[in-house]
Amino acid sequence: MINEILNNGFIHPSAIFILGSVLIPLLKGRIKQGYMLLLAFSALFAVIMVPHGTYGVYEFLGWKLTFAYVDKLSKVFAYIFTIMGVIGVLFALHVKNDGEHLAAFFYMAGSLGVTFAGDFLTLFLFWEMMAFSSVFLVWYRKIPSSLASGFRYLLWHVAGGLILLAGIILQYSVSGDLTVQLLPFHGWWPADIQSLAVFLIMIGFILNAAVPPFGAWLPDAYPAATVTGAVFMSAFTTKTAVYTLARVCAGSEILIVLGVIMAIYGVVYAVLENDARRLLSYHIISQVGYMVAGVGLGTQMAINGAVAHAFAHILYKALLFMGTSSVLYATGTAKLTELGGLYKTMPRTMIYTIIGGLSISAFPLFSGFVSKSMTVAAFGEKHIMWGFIGLMLASAGTYLHTGLKVPYFIWFGKDQGIKAKEPPWNMELAMIIASIFCIGLGIFYKPLYALLPYPVHFEPYTAYHTWESLQVLLFTQLGFFLLLKMLWCENTISIDTDWFPRKVARAFMWLVNKPIANVEYGFIGEIYEFIIQKPILKVAHLLRVFDTEAVDGTVNGIGKGMLSWSRILQIIQSGQVQHYALVMALGALTVLAMMLIYF
Amino acid sequence: MNLVNIVEALRTKIVKRIAYGVLVLLVVVDFFIPRHEIHFLGDKIFGFWSAFGFIACVLIIVVSKWIGHHGLMKDEDYYDK
Repeated sequence: MINEILNNGFIHPSAIFILGSVLIPLLKGRIKQGYMLLLAFSALFAVIMVPHGTYGVYEFLGWKLTFAYVDKLSKVFAYIFTIMGVIGVLFALHVKNDGEHLAAFFYMAGSLGVTFAGDFLTLFLFWEMMAFSSVFLVWYRKIPSSLASGFRYLLWHVAGGLILLAGIILQYSVSGDLTVQLLPFHGWWPADIQSLAVFLIMIGFILNAAVPPFGAWLPDAYPAATVTGAVFMSAFTTKTAVYTLARVCAGSEILIVLGVIMAIYGVVYAVLENDARRLLSYHIISQVGYMVAGVGLGTQMAINGAVAHAFAHILYKALLFMGTSSVLYATGTAKLTELGGLYKTMPRTMIYTIIGGLSISAFPLFSGFVSKSMTVAAFGEKHIMWGFIGLMLASAGTYLHTGLKVPYFIWFGKDQGIKAKEPPWNMELAMIIASIFCIGLGIFYKPLYALLPYPVHFEPYTAYHTWESLQVLLFTQLGFFLLLKMLWCENTISIDTDWFPRKVARAFMWLVNKPIANVEYGFIGEIYEFIIQKPILKVAHLLRVFDTEAVDGTVNGIGKGMLSWSRILQIIQSGQVQHYALVMALGALTVLAMMLIYF
Repeated sequence: MNLVNIVEALRTKIVKRIAYGVLVLLVVVDFFIPRHEIHFLGDKIFGFWSAFGFIACVLIIVVSKWIGHHGLMKDEDYYDK
C-alpha cells in the first residue's frame, strides 16, 4: 500500500482511508473531528486529481494485481463515493465510538477499492472488506436484534462472496485471465462452463445489489444499524454492486427482468412497512431496480441513465436516511405508528427529508428527474413497453411512499405529542449539503451528464416529459389522500425471502433438538445398548477371562520359572572369586576329560 | 418558530382547493403540450398520464395491502416465537 501511494503520484483513496483511520483512536475532540473531515476531503481530492490510466500493478505469488484502473465509469463512481464520504463523515462527526468511525472508513475504502480494482482478485479482496467492516455499523447499535441482524447480514454476504469467488476461479480456469472486463451473461441459465463462470460472478454481484430473491439482507440489516451507520450503508454496498454490474454484466438480458421486478417489489413492501428506515430500505431495492434494469438493457443511454441514477440516488437516499435517522436520534424510534405531529418540533429536518422525497420521486427540478428519466426513456427508445410501464408504475409508488407516506406519518398524521428537537449542527449541516446537491443536480444537470461514461444526447426538461411526470406524481398524490385510511400504518413486519433461511434454520434446529434428540435417547439409545453395548460387554468379559487365565497365566508362569531358575543360579553366583575359580577349574577338567574320551 | 407557522398556514381548506385546481389544470394543459416522443399508444391519449398516476397509486395500495393481509404481514415478534 505504501508503495502504491508513491507509485506515479497516484494516491489510492482507499489507502488514505485505511492508513489514515489508524490515527483516529489516538486523537480527541475537535482535532479528531477535523482530522476525519480532512481524510474525507483528501480522498475526494485524490479522485479529482487522478488522470485516466492504470496504476498500482503488482506481481504477487505469480498473480498480477491491479489496484487501480481509472476510466470514466470508475471515476464517476469514485466521485460520488468520496462526496458521500464527506457528507457521511460530517453526519457522524459527533459519534463518540471510534469503532464506528473505523468501520465506516474501512467500509468506504472497500467500496472505492472495488471501484478501482483492475483484476478480480483485488476486487474480491475489497468486496469482502466491505462486508466485514459494514457489519460493525450494525453491531455497534448494541441492541440484541441488531446483533442477530448483523450475523444474518454477514451470512448472506459470505455466501455471496463465496459464489463470486467460485465464479472468479472458474473464469480463471476457463480463460486464464482475471482482468475485470465486460463479460455479459446471455440467456436464462448457464449453458457451458464459460457462461457458468459469468453466471456465478453475476449472482455474487446481484446479491450485493439486493436483487430478489437475494435482497432480504438489506431491509433486515439497514434499519438495525446505528443512527449514522445506516446512512453509510444506504450509499455504498448496492451502488458498488451496480458499478460492478455495469462494468462486467452490461447487456445481460436477465437483468432487465430482475430490475423491473425489483423496482415494483420494493414498492409493494414499502406499502406494508411500518419502520421508516425499513421502508426506505425497500425503496433502495426499488431504486436500484432502475439501475439494474438499465445495466441489463446495456445501450449507451441506459448505462448513462443507470450511472446518473446511482449518482443522484446516493445523495437523495442518504438525505432521506439522515432525516429519518435524525428522527430516530431525537425520539428513539423510527416506527410510523409511534410518530406523528413532529412538524412542530423538527420542521427543518422535515424540509430536508421532503427535499429527499421529491428527489427520489423524480419531481422536475430535483435530482431524480434528470437521472431516472434517462433510464426510463432508454426503455421507451428500445420499445420495451412492459419495462417502461413497470418502471413508471414504480415511480408512482416511490412518490406514494417516500415523498408522501414517510413525511406524512412522521411530521403530520396523528400528533403523538413527542418531545423532540432538531439534531446537532453537524447532522443538520450534512443534510443541508445533501439538499443543495439534490436541488442543484436537478437544475444544473450538465456537469453530471459530462461525467457519465458515454456522450449524452438526452434533454430531460422537454415540455411533454415534464408534464408527463407532473401528471403521474400529482395524481398519485390525489390517490394517496383519498386512500389515506386504507394506507394507515400497521404495527407489523413483513416476511421476505429470508423467511426461508430463517425458518428452515429454525426448523432444522427444532428437528435436531426435539425429534432427533428423542429418537437418539429413546430408540437409538436402546438399540445401541441391546445390539452394541451388551455384546461388547460380553466380549469384554471373555477377553478379561482370557487375559487373566491365559495371558496373565503365561506371563506369570514365565515369571515364576525365572524366579526358581534365579534361585538356583543364586547358589552358584556366590560373589566369591575362589568359588568361580573352582567352577572354572571343574569346567577345564571336564573339557579335558571329554577330549581324552573322544581322541 | 416561523417555519411552523408557515406549515400551519398551508394546512387550510383554501390550499386544498388550490391543489384540486392544479390537478384540473394539469389535465387541461395536457391538450396543448406538443408530443414529440411517442413510444406507444398511451402517449397519444390526452390526460393518459393523469389517469395512469391515479390508477397506479390505487392499484399499488389495494394490491399490496391485499397481499400483505393474505400472508406477508406478521406480528413483530414473528421470528422470535
